[in-house]
Amino acid sequence: MSSSEDPYALMEKWLKAKEFLVVGKGVRRADALEKAMGQARFVEDFYMPGHMLFIKQVLSTEPHARILGIDASKALEVPSVEGVFTAKDIPGENQVGYALPDQPLIAEGKVRFAGELVALVAAKDFDKAIEAAEKVKIMYDPLPYVLDPLEAMERKDILVHGEVGSNIAFRTKVRKGDIEEGFSKSDVIVENEYRTHHQDHVYLETEGALALPELGDRLTVISAGQYPHLVRAIVARVVGLPESNIKVIIPYMGGGFGGKDDEGPLVAAKAALIAKLTGKPSFLMYTRDESMLMHPKREATIIKYKSGASRDGKLQAIEVKIIHDTGAYSNRGPFILWRATVHASGPYRVPHAKVDGYCIYTNKVYQGSYRGFGNPSVQFAAEAQMDSLARKLGIDPVELRLKNLLRPGDLTITGQQLNESVGVADAVAKLAKVSEWSSKIKAYSSSNGRYRRGIGIGVAWHGISTSRGVPDWSNALVKIEKDGSVSVHTGIVEMGQGSPVSSHRQIASEILGAPLDVVTVDFGTTDAPDTGATHASRGTSIGAIGVYVAAAKLRERLNKLASELLGTSPDEIEIKDGKAYLRSNPEKYISWKELIKEAYSRGVEMSATGYFFLPKGKFNDEAGQGYAYPAFSYVAMVAEVEVDTYTGKVRVLRIWPALAAGRIINPTQVEGQVEGAAVQGMGYVLMEQFVFDNKGRILNPNLTDYVVPTALDAPEIMRPVYVEDIFKYGPFGAKGVGEMALIPAPAAIANAVSNALGVQVTKLPLTPENVYFLIKEKMGKKA
Amino acid sequence: MVEAVKLSRHNLFNTHIIPVNFKYFAPKTLNEALELLDKYGKEAKILAGGTDLLVKMKMRLVEPKYIINIKGIRELNFIKDEGNQVRIGALTRWRQLEKSELIKNFFPSLYDAVKVMGGTQIRNMATVGGNLCNASPAADSAPPLMVLNAKLVLASKKGEREIPITQFFKGPGKTVMEPDELLKEITIPKPEEGSGSAFIKVARTSMDLAKISAATALKVEDRKIVMVRIAIGSAAPTPVRTPKTEEALIGQPFRPSIIREKVKLVVNEISPIDDVRSTAFYRKEVSKIIVEDALLISYERASRR
Repeated sequence: MSSSEDPYALMEKWLKAKEFLVVGKGVRRADALEKAMGQARFVEDFYMPGHMLFIKQVLSTEPHARILGIDASKALEVPSVEGVFTAKDIPGENQVGYALPDQPLIAEGKVRFAGELVALVAAKDFDKAIEAAEKVKIMYDPLPYVLDPLEAMERKDILVHGEVGSNIAFRTKVRKGDIEEGFSKSDVIVENEYRTHHQDHVYLETEGALALPELGDRLTVISAGQYPHLVRAIVARVVGLPESNIKVIIPYMGGGFGGKDDEGPLVAAKAALIAKLTGKPSFLMYTRDESMLMHPKREATIIKYKSGASRDGKLQAIEVKIIHDTGAYSNRGPFILWRATVHASGPYRVPHAKVDGYCIYTNKVYQGSYRGFGNPSVQFAAEAQMDSLARKLGIDPVELRLKNLLRPGDLTITGQQLNESVGVADAVAKLAKVSEWSSKIKAYSSSNGRYRRGIGIGVAWHGISTSRGVPDWSNALVKIEKDGSVSVHTGIVEMGQGSPVSSHRQIASEILGAPLDVVTVDFGTTDAPDTGATHASRGTSIGAIGVYVAAAKLRERLNKLASELLGTSPDEIEIKDGKAYLRSNPEKYISWKELIKEAYSRGVEMSATGYFFLPKGKFNDEAGQGYAYPAFSYVAMVAEVEVDTYTGKVRVLRIWPALAAGRIINPTQVEGQVEGAAVQGMGYVLMEQFVFDNKGRILNPNLTDYVVPTALDAPEIMRPVYVEDIFKYGPFGAKGVGEMALIPAPAAIANAVSNALGVQVTKLPLTPENVYFLIKEKMGKKA
Repeated sequence: MVEAVKLSRHNLFNTHIIPVNFKYFAPKTLNEALELLDKYGKEAKILAGGTDLLVKMKMRLVEPKYIINIKGIRELNFIKDEGNQVRIGALTRWRQLEKSELIKNFFPSLYDAVKVMGGTQIRNMATVGGNLCNASPAADSAPPLMVLNAKLVLASKKGEREIPITQFFKGPGKTVMEPDELLKEITIPKPEEGSGSAFIKVARTSMDLAKISAATALKVEDRKIVMVRIAIGSAAPTPVRTPKTEEALIGQPFRPSIIREKVKLVVNEISPIDDVRSTAFYRKEVSKIIVEDALLISYERASRR
């Protein structure tokens, strides 16, 4: 590699760009038409009934039981049935835990929640597969079970994982300063217990995979997933093949939201297992109820939070205990807990902090990745604390936040100094202005009558990339073909968010100077170098650096070639509008197509990878201090609500979002993400909830009784306030947006309801039943 | 006689799967449909809009041996003004009700229900007859039709009979219809001069089933209530009228304080339960509120006319 192709130097160079051809513009995404026309192909569209095996899952009906035996004899009598497969048929490892090795793909020995996979049935006819699955008999020896995380923490006699010796799967901590000192300096102290509930992803498309056996013991898997290389790794482990024998393609997806980061590799491994065992193409697609019973949910939490502040409104200390009900398996629970723990303060300066996190096993469906990843619940608690403090101090809630918000040079609660890209205070100040905060909070605080308006703010931060020193990188392969068209190969997937079909094209086009319409992105494939996952809001940030760097390398080569052809220096070369020309004399040029032809005939390589390894520090788990993230995205939201105090019904009228997420590469896409996340967050706060029976079984695994907001329920969402606080390790300074607007939504909406009712909300969801109860309780207190 | 067709299920999988084997008929006339019902009624299900039936079949809550798709029977799809009454064919889609000036002008409570039943896509498919015959306690059309004194015409090979809608429901999913009977039409008398009606639904989302709903019809003369009808949905095994509350209101001056006092009685006339959608406690508390609200709206509408 020549020194001119050093990724860090190239990033620094392009970060300085001031004028843009396509970046920062609301460029139309490449897949808009085919999706609008119904032509885009999703996993299910590759299934050919009758020509492939259809797989049906047999799920546990028990929350906790030993499996005494499995009788498949009746199932095997059903015509066209290929086989009934259980844990003992797995040729590789029956182990799919992401954070801890505690989770089998197929239950082995015992089941730990109702809904766990016990057997797979494959048949040529899908209706026969369903019929046979119903005829598989599982003999259970029921064990005592535990559903409540607080009870599970204490119990030693009922263990979800006997080998662990306790139901505490994982612990985290942050320690800064001395909280005793902090609380002694505090003039006001508020202490509350918060509770948040599970949330289902309700992606339009459920989990599915098609596995195709190829010659030479190779497999191609067309699957849902958010990280093709992880899907491949899990498939390889389960079927016992080298990763290089497996090719994974993730086509268009109907939503992911983190759920398919967890469940995608599992659905792929199930289909691959059957294909490996039978040698036949095998297809599995979850029904909606299977999806809702099986896939991991947003964490249900109990958060005990104590905060202290001095009379001048400065935060002095926090003491926080976070309990996550992780369900039957830890899955990504430890990572989720870790994120919640280090974000527990909210984006504020807090000199003294003590935070403890507990990830607790129970015999319920397990928790997993979901837009915000442990952060919406803890920001809800932190922001409710801020409002409680504001009330006690007699300070306006926005003013109190502005007094404490992080600014460049400040330390986080893990002791990490944030020197750049900290635009949150600016964003909050602007947001207060556009939402007319001051006049509204005054008017609404004294509102009475049946319908009461309220306004609330939620401010949040979200660390970029994986937590602590966990390695993170990006990569992509960019090729300029002989005809001048550009192919980008990336592992980033397209799940509706649009990064490969919008921002990746913009970045490649911007840097190469090639027209946007010649750039094609091949996404979600293991044929691309490992790009990392499409999660943690990294699709257009870390995930796109590969494209950024690869394109920049090619641009260096093109500049050099053009300068030789035009008799000038590389710095003098401008490429745009289909030609390369002299900056000082645009008349002296060579067309884009000619330039590429020349490259091929003069031995200039027109393909490049863009490997980039993100520099990180270390976190000291023992001390509870250290490096957490390379940077944070910041988000704030003001919500205005109306509460019918007679029925408890809450309507969100308007939402004002603000982002300090670095460069906005495509404002149209960003608005889509912000609006979607805000509505998803509103649904979580107001409508969505699972109902569990006394065996921990979900009673409403369907869209009749697990309801999500409809278009008619969506509030008016105003144009976001942007503060472009440039981040040096993002493409053109971008930090990441996807999850952001969901994170402060529970806080903003709950605080608005608190403002309307004059009582602090501490428990979600705010269904009419719960709000009605709050109102009655408050009236009772008054009387 | 219509040929029985076995549906090809070639492209039906995953969420499209209807894991039930059935024989399928698509009669083109009422008589053909009644013939089929006479023959297969006990093991048959009528397919009208399909928005309830197909969901239940996918979930295997019902597994009929025969499906009689009546969508093609044109003579069951109409809204007719007959001077003192309006007749609505059972196959009339909710979207047609929504677009009908007749419904909007004469039966505002039914129009209220139409506006909040599902979304446009559902209203384009679902039929008013299907909503009634599905016999959900939460059926949006039931409370308004009950306070509007609607009658239902049931047809079978043996003949027709007309019953008041208040006698139609027997329990969740159960009606007085015999297996060989088909709901043919709904007749609604035009409301008396000076009366008004309204419907209110409390639901989790804008396109959801009711947690609880209420319809009222009201006439006030010389400031006194001379006619009042109240019906409540989702608060008992069937949608119900509340005769004792109505009785207590008759003859009373129409004053908000009196209304508020008297509507408390509705709680004794309903028997809601705890379920995944709401709680018995909440339903009881809120029934009073929405009945009061509906009465006030009914009054306003009556005075506007």
